[in-house]
Amino acid sequence: MPDVIIKNLPFLLAGLRLTAEISVLSIIGGSALGVAIGIVRHVRVPALAQLFDVYVEFVRGTPLLVVLFICYFGFPALFGYQTSAYSAAILGIILFIAAYLAEDIRSGLRSVRGSLVQAALALGLTRAQVICFVVIPIALRNVIPTLFNQYVRLFKFTSVASVIGVNELTGSAMLINAREFAPFSIIAFLALTYLVFCFAISSLGRLIYSRLAIRT
Amino acid sequence: MAQQTRHVSYRLDWAPIWSNRDLLVDGFLTTIALSASALMLALVIGVMVGSAGATRARGILRTSSAAYVELMRNIPLLVHLYFWYVALAFLRLPPFMCAVFGLALYSGAYIAEVVRSGIGAVPQGQRLAALAIGLTPRQALLFVVYPQAFRIITPSLASICSQLIKDSSLASVIAVAELTYQASAIEGQTFRTFEVYITISLLYLLLVSAVSWGLLLVPGARDVVGRIPSDA
Repeated sequence: MPDVIIKNLPFLLAGLRLTAEISVLSIIGGSALGVAIGIVRHVRVPALAQLFDVYVEFVRGTPLLVVLFICYFGFPALFGYQTSAYSAAILGIILFIAAYLAEDIRSGLRSVRGSLVQAALALGLTRAQVICFVVIPIALRNVIPTLFNQYVRLFKFTSVASVIGVNELTGSAMLINAREFAPFSIIAFLALTYLVFCFAISSLGRLIYSRLAIRT
Repeated sequence: MAQQTRHVSYRLDWAPIWSNRDLLVDGFLTTIALSASALMLALVIGVMVGSAGATRARGILRTSSAAYVELMRNIPLLVHLYFWYVALAFLRLPPFMCAVFGLALYSGAYIAEVVRSGIGAVPQGQRLAALAIGLTPRQALLFVVYPQAFRIITPSLASICSQLIKDSSLASVIAVAELTYQASAIEGQTFRTFEVYITISLLYLLLVSAVSWGLLLVPGARDVVGRIPSDA
């Protein structure tokens, strides 16, 4: 490893920790919100479903950077509250990724075969029970690969948080570059770190899927 | 308390947006130019890398294609842009070119994956039949396999294309004067934060929807799978 990296390793690792924190919190929050929105849109809860339709369309047509700007500058101005770049980044990434996850989960819910639903109804389960115990478990297990694709995307997207001033991995690497000016080794280190972690996330996804996939 | 009520009563005021419309139009056009150039280059990269990945024999072509895809896809776009803009600063490329290269190399990997699976989805019999009626391998690829593969992958291409348009907003970070950059500039002058960013979100939404609808108008893009003899 080049000297620049070794000398600044503690600083970079602190950035990496922040990246990991943002990713984990956004994955948890985004998945929860995504599942909720996906289910609401699937069972067509009146009014709420239409609202979320508009939400998903809107967010999916907007760049993450703009969503982060809205969360960091727009909402605080509109609703009159104080926020930090860190929490605005997490809020923005959650709101952003939830729209994509909701769409994936909804297509998973739709892919559950009608005959399974009918069989469950014939056994005497109520409609709510069918959704909870039959449709959702099958759908979630089927969409694991797509979900992990989105998680990899999310991990890469955390780099955008550096633009609103969060010193995560990319942000701290660019700060170091401003001080040391060794762009080649710093950016190579950056790329390599993201590469390793993205591989780790997708391998984890494959491992989980190989355990949980529904075999017929 | 008094301060709090003053904060809450943020009044929406769209007039500054309208008076700065020439900046927004300028940014919008730059975004279109940037996305279009990056898309062209990404399509070239994607078709070449994807075709290399679709070769049947295991060899250097397939390995390097897979390596390219994995390498490019797993690095954040922002790092791609910094690579061209900061690490290769000695080349003195204009920011617009840096953004085009970064976006094209990044999206090219996604297009390559889609092209590879599209070629794989064309039944092998189509190619064999083309060879049997006397087409050369190159002609078979060009006139038989590619046209069918292209129709199969049109929906995926549409989604990659809208992804690219949205990703182009990151070019504002390396000082390309596209839509997001102009929005930040207007925000800095007028402080109409919420209005500015909602406006450009809607502009992005407009552009993305237009592109996806446009690509779905490609003749036969929707139902081509049903028209290919499945057992051929």
